[in-house]
Amino acid sequence: MIRIQQILPNTKITHLILFLAIIPVLQFADAQNVPQASEEGKRVYEKSCAHCHGTEGRGDGSAAENLLPKPRDFTRGLYKIRSTEAGELPTDQDLLDIITKGMPGSSMPGWETALSANERREVVAYIKTFHDGFKEQESPPRQISLAGKIAYSEESVEIGKGLYTELGCIECHGNIGRGDGTSAPTLTDEWGFQTWPANLAQSWNFRGGSDTEDIFKRFIGGLAGSPMPAFEGDSFLNFGLTSAESKRLTELENRDEMTAAEEEESGQYYEKMDAAVNIALNIAEGTELSAEEQQTYTEAMKVVYEKSWHLANYVKSLAPEKRPEPAIGNNVLRSQYVTDALPAKTDAAWDTLESSHFPLVAQVIIEPRQFNPTIDSVNVKSFYNDTEVAFLFTWDDRTHTTAEEDEETGNILEDALAIQFPVKIPQGPTAPKPYFLWGGRLPVYLWQWKASAPDQVTELTAKGINNAEAQAVQSDIQAEGSYTNGQYTLWVKRALKTDDKKDLQLEPGVFVPIAFSAWDGANGDINTKRVISSWYAFVLEPVPSSKRFIYPPLVALLSVGLLLGLRGFVQRRNS
Amino acid sequence: MKRLSLFTKCLIIFIGCWVFLRFIVGNVISVPIPGSVIAMYMGLIIVAILVHISVEDTRFREFLRPIHETLVDNNRRVRRRVIAVLIPLFLLGYTYSIIAQRTNPPGNPRDAHPSPPLEITYKDEVIGATQEVENPFRHYEKDDPEAFRAHVENGKRVYYDNCFYCHGDDLDGQGHFAPHIQPLPANFQDPGIIPNFQESFLFWRISKGGPGLPAAGTPWDSAMPIWENYLTKDEIWDVILFLSDYTGYQPRTFGEGH
Amino acid sequence: MKTYLLACFTVLFACCYVGGAFADHHETAEMTMLQFPESYKAMSVSNGGTISGVVKFEGDVPEMKMLEITKDQAVCGATEKFDETLVVGEGNALKNTIVYLMDISQGKDFDKAAKLEMDQKGCQFNPHVQIVPVGVRVTMLNNDRVNHNVHIFSSVNKPVNKQQTKNRRKMPLAGVKKAEGPVSVKCDIHGWMSAWIAYVPHPYFAVTNEMGEFTLENVPPGTYKLGYWHEACGTNNESPAAVTVEAGGTVKQDFTLMLKKNVAESGKHN
Repeated sequence: MIRIQQILPNTKITHLILFLAIIPVLQFADAQNVPQASEEGKRVYEKSCAHCHGTEGRGDGSAAENLLPKPRDFTRGLYKIRSTEAGELPTDQDLLDIITKGMPGSSMPGWETALSANERREVVAYIKTFHDGFKEQESPPRQISLAGKIAYSEESVEIGKGLYTELGCIECHGNIGRGDGTSAPTLTDEWGFQTWPANLAQSWNFRGGSDTEDIFKRFIGGLAGSPMPAFEGDSFLNFGLTSAESKRLTELENRDEMTAAEEEESGQYYEKMDAAVNIALNIAEGTELSAEEQQTYTEAMKVVYEKSWHLANYVKSLAPEKRPEPAIGNNVLRSQYVTDALPAKTDAAWDTLESSHFPLVAQVIIEPRQFNPTIDSVNVKSFYNDTEVAFLFTWDDRTHTTAEEDEETGNILEDALAIQFPVKIPQGPTAPKPYFLWGGRLPVYLWQWKASAPDQVTELTAKGINNAEAQAVQSDIQAEGSYTNGQYTLWVKRALKTDDKKDLQLEPGVFVPIAFSAWDGANGDINTKRVISSWYAFVLEPVPSSKRFIYPPLVALLSVGLLLGLRGFVQRRNS
Repeated sequence: MKRLSLFTKCLIIFIGCWVFLRFIVGNVISVPIPGSVIAMYMGLIIVAILVHISVEDTRFREFLRPIHETLVDNNRRVRRRVIAVLIPLFLLGYTYSIIAQRTNPPGNPRDAHPSPPLEITYKDEVIGATQEVENPFRHYEKDDPEAFRAHVENGKRVYYDNCFYCHGDDLDGQGHFAPHIQPLPANFQDPGIIPNFQESFLFWRISKGGPGLPAAGTPWDSAMPIWENYLTKDEIWDVILFLSDYTGYQPRTFGEGH
Repeated sequence: MKTYLLACFTVLFACCYVGGAFADHHETAEMTMLQFPESYKAMSVSNGGTISGVVKFEGDVPEMKMLEITKDQAVCGATEKFDETLVVGEGNALKNTIVYLMDISQGKDFDKAAKLEMDQKGCQFNPHVQIVPVGVRVTMLNNDRVNHNVHIFSSVNKPVNKQQTKNRRKMPLAGVKKAEGPVSVKCDIHGWMSAWIAYVPHPYFAVTNEMGEFTLENVPPGTYKLGYWHEACGTNNESPAAVTVEAGGTVKQDFTLMLKKNVAESGKHN
């Protein structure tokens, strides 16, 4: 099998050519043409999908064991990412889109290049055979209307923020959306597997995309099979009331005592709600509606849609558009020089720095391994002065675990972070670095921090992931750690130079390899079971040389002199 | 239109060559040409231009004429003053940018491929010389296609139970853990990988992983696990069969290039 | 040839891997299932008989596990709460056992006046086991003034997953289309909350009370298979009791149940 990418080099020009060549194909790559299930669909499914989703579509392929989220069980007809209303099956286009684009933050890749448009359509048809509901469908699923979109604005975000609390989003997604709600650790999906609420600050992991429309569709349609409920008529907050009425009712309900008039007023609201809910239930049960009922329902749903747009705008406001650029290449972590004392943990000076972003990956190299990481990345800022360096590490963790017994193993689990440096900085680009997984032949120098002792960092020397020891002589390292709203913040300060030969010695302008390990106790992380990074680099950014104000004018003056000299020379020769 | 002077022509050729090397060639071969190589070519071009203009005395004079005029002619005063300001300004900016430039971290100039040891081992068991060991199941491809398929299918299972996290569903090195591993996991769809190696080499890389890479040619920084700790010998051979079966690339055999 | 091989491998893989990790899961699902007749016809029953009895528990009665209340302490943690998986009363009486007729095809109609409610009070469901006729609405009550999330893990019917915010005192749920169950009811917000609902096609279902007693009234004369289901003790689907009801008579049938081997497994919903 020869692929076009292999023949043509991977450049922008070829992308353009490919794109132009694909245009006629693209016109057919929509779900209009999803065929009847065929042998071809089965072949593609068994080649590319069955190893995770199982030959019978139960989500139990041999690779499924180590995956979380689990591969979808197609037999239940429960699909999270849909453009259809709650309780409906997805459209062919929904299925095709997921296959084409994949699901960020999960192990489902996009199949755009691996499978042809036709193969993807065939596989959609085949997947549908696993659930009878598709065959029994009498009418096409009801699509979520995006017509009433409310544009992003400060006001809309503010309204959405209020709804976020009012609707109870906080219970799982936490105060500011980092997925750290008090119910987060106990959630399971429809199949009984543990599942974590989305960290709304990490839009790059949203399974169904992070556009406002995508977020909106998740609210209206729900994430079927997960604990995330849909915003349906029969269960939505104060369904059937206008926004003003709803506000008024909440106000009345929050009173300790109501006057007779207020009792009556709230009674009217309840009646109105009951009538609207009754219509919603009739729809769910398949009862025909009268025109009047239809009208009431449409009006009531309009409010649900409106509130959902505000909430979507709020969620949109919680995260950057995409993952920050990782701190590699020329984007390395640069510690900034200050002449005075280094800023303390809560100093506003830290806000003046951009974070360097270090994505973390699961440690799947040495047993016991972690296949289902929960910590996505660590962000770092740094300042230094003539004698010391200070770092500010932040990372999201949905749970604050300081000492929790693992029911299966009896291990005491806790959250932790380790920052790794080589003991000796490799000299020159070809000099070997220690093995990135806590060293080997060449040792590494580590700062180990644990949530149970948040104001302490221990120095370790390691020659392997299972061969680490706390240093006998601990240098004076100051540390302060805290946990708020699903995020750890750790501040560390150390002298640039120490007397200990096992320590890293720092010098401005020298690039130092740096790597991280992080543990989420609530995810069973302990010892080798953790998330890691490979080597990155950081540098104490040298103070810009004062030479930059001396040499350039000198050179310019010299060139003027040269030009004048040349002119003089030519003139003399002419005369 | 006035005929272009020789000086202008040379200037156009010089700038044209630089633009060609810097922007056009780099895009076509997908790797930008290193600055030092461009400098070398530009040096050659300057020599060529110098040779061209100095072959004849008249040509040399023709080349110098516009410079000469600019420097002394009274009716070229405006141009002279503009140049007298622009050149120092340019040098001022250029020198400043060189001095104030941020230092960037060293690149990773490692060898394309490591050299394998002389002997292929599995754990401590010696399998044979690297230049001789063959995949014990490869011969089924001709002898017993059914058994061959069974080995490939088992290789597929091994692959998706163990390897696809990094090397990807489509064997393209884009598994869900791949994006933030440095260096990136191997892309088996790349024609530069499987066809370049004998199966014994692949067996060595799989069984010994990153820590098994030689001391020479560092830094490797490979995140490849030591798979002999997890997989049986046969599973490794099977997964190699699967890699070549799925991608359609045949590993190199011993006849070639030796 | 190709297809033949493909089929071979498919079967091979299906055997090796489909079985493995997931077998237990599906088994549990089968074990918790009630048996329903293929069809049921409601009619008026005159001089029907009564089946009654007591369900007892045999074996060491484990100490009742106190629930760990991890949030909303003021409301949920006001009083001590116990895991209701196995509630054994005086004289080893076993509460919350469903006793029902497996194979009845005609008989009385549902009691239309019965109020079908499941309360959420003090962050616990009440009752722990609720019988809900197919097509009839059950109303979830929220007497807690905290947010709840009603999650019913149906697999035959569509799963229910509905936020019941703190001011939503009553939330009726749509009637389901098919008989199923019992299915697990959970609150995603308070992980310890747990109950069961059985969606049933006929009214001959009873849930034992604190004394372990059950009564099935107005049963048309005949011989029936009497089945039971208990969350921790399983079912007698393999060997249901045979009871013969005579016109106007009362039949006694007691049961003695033991813990399923894998009590831990039974806690999983499916």
